[in-house]
Amino acid sequence: MDISRVLVANRGEIALRVIKACRDLGIESVVAVSEADRESLPARMADRAVCIGPARSSESYLKIDAIIAAALGTKSNAVHPGYGFLAEEPEFAEACAKHGLRFIGPRADSIRQMGNKLAARSLASEYGIPVVPGSKKAANVNQALAAAEEVGLPVLLKAAAGGGGRGIKIVNEASELQRAFETSAAEARAAFGDETLYIERYLPNARHIEVQVLGDQFGSAIHVGERDCSLQRRYQKVVEEAPAYSIPDPLRKKIRKAAVTIAKNIRYENAGTVEFILDQDNSQFYFLEMNTRIQVEHPVTEMITGIDLVKEQISIADGQRLLFKEADIHFSGHAIECRITAESPQHGFRPYPGRIHEWRPPEGTDIRIDSHCFRGYSVPPFYDSLLAKLIVRGVDRKEAIGRMQQALAAFRVDGIDTTIPFLRFLLNQPDYLAGEVNTGWVENQLEQFAFNLRE
Amino acid sequence: MIEKDKLITQLTVDELLEILNLLEKSDFDFLRLEAGDIKLTVGKKGYHGGDDESPQASSARPPASSQPDLKVETKAPETSGTQRAATAEAPVVKEGTVPIVAPMVGTFYTTPEPGAPPFVKTGDSVAASTTVGLIEVMKVFNAVTSRVNGIIVETCVENGQFVEYGQTLFLVKPPAH
Repeated sequence: MDISRVLVANRGEIALRVIKACRDLGIESVVAVSEADRESLPARMADRAVCIGPARSSESYLKIDAIIAAALGTKSNAVHPGYGFLAEEPEFAEACAKHGLRFIGPRADSIRQMGNKLAARSLASEYGIPVVPGSKKAANVNQALAAAEEVGLPVLLKAAAGGGGRGIKIVNEASELQRAFETSAAEARAAFGDETLYIERYLPNARHIEVQVLGDQFGSAIHVGERDCSLQRRYQKVVEEAPAYSIPDPLRKKIRKAAVTIAKNIRYENAGTVEFILDQDNSQFYFLEMNTRIQVEHPVTEMITGIDLVKEQISIADGQRLLFKEADIHFSGHAIECRITAESPQHGFRPYPGRIHEWRPPEGTDIRIDSHCFRGYSVPPFYDSLLAKLIVRGVDRKEAIGRMQQALAAFRVDGIDTTIPFLRFLLNQPDYLAGEVNTGWVENQLEQFAFNLRE
Repeated sequence: MIEKDKLITQLTVDELLEILNLLEKSDFDFLRLEAGDIKLTVGKKGYHGGDDESPQASSARPPASSQPDLKVETKAPETSGTQRAATAEAPVVKEGTVPIVAPMVGTFYTTPEPGAPPFVKTGDSVAASTTVGLIEVMKVFNAVTSRVNGIIVETCVENGQFVEYGQTLFLVKPPAH
């Protein structure tokens, strides 16, 4: 392997995940840390940690020149961006290439192609993949109104440069549109520096299904199965599962094929995820967007396939061919992931940074914890609130749910509030057990959860 | 258990944790493991190292965690002697002095151009606005100012050295009051 030392340009659990993959491959790792993360677990576990700037991400984790300087100064020859931060910045991938560093992710042009959600939609249409009915671009309120009437209310207003749920607004009535348009545009401008909006029909009874893809530098692209991420709060995933359950096999095949079609056509390199929305009322699926990075929920795919996706990323970036074909992949069992965050479900999910006095994750067969936390660790207030990903596997969904319920019950955290009580509540709901959920389901449970707290 | 002849970089997290556990239960204050170019130094809380080769060894670490301190050093063959493998650490401070720290990560230059005399050297007095060196980040040179008044008592880095954000460049003795 040409890659001998990887600079990890991220923090938290994903930095640790990359460090472990490097170690497994016999590659050295250097982690770039902000001042707030000098004492973090990734800083201790990497072969070396380099402080690149102050706590604020714009001065550290988002600062391309500081990260490139750290990579060159430590004689690293590859960079892993993790997710978030600079992972989907084409300029970052280009800066790495310019300085002779291998970017462990897709080419900059693929990131750019898929980064604009409007452009990605038309590309998918070109390849014959259905997209949610909607507009090309809504330049002003009047255009948005015309588009909304054409596709039929309710509609979603979305940012073309979007991601992470920012800038998305549901519009139920034509009279709400003007205000929603103004707030969405302002949010999009603040978050992405681009206020372009478009309209999509809102599907009230839909599932979020996404397909993991891998592509190499020789034009091969395969899928590694799909995940169901329908449990979302504020457009953020809360619980993810693999495989997608309760969809008939012919439909599953079609969705997987659509994902591979996109990956092949854009000659996608490295790991990526093609997201779809499945309308449960008419069994029709639609392309949503493609995420050009490793995703938070990648472990559920790993748990049912035995494939280490981060190692695959490194091997692909090294210029190697895909190690297996679709036919070689065996899916076995059912996996569930719960995202445990430092938020207080008892207090309207407000962020809850602070010192962890007790940290006892559950242990056992088919239980995996991806986390950078430990007893005595202080959760800094500057970053994402993700503390741990709790992943379990069972022979089937029923067993996996039972294991997850036990694992959540056994997870002891003191000192800060976490979303564990909320996750336990969700995983005990009859609808969830029956698999009768949609992307709006979690939001509809909030009232009951709050009611239970008061009782 | 840990296999013989295994590189530090091949130690698993579990093995490292096992080392930490063993040390914690033992009566020893620290453990140093050396194999070729690779060194592992593990110390208990309160242990500030005795590694005379390492400029970071005497640093006062913030008491941020209840875990034993861990430092893994990997010296790569192609890395020159001036570029030590250091973990990101808080600045070195000696009593009665204040540090001038690197305001950014990059390559530190003590001179305005190759062959020229250094901006400052030990014994020089500096004002807050004195330029003490340059840091190069992707071909852009940024002047580093002292930001403190006093006399330079120690130069902690070499010309052309890679420095981290917050790394101590010079120690300055401020004027007596």
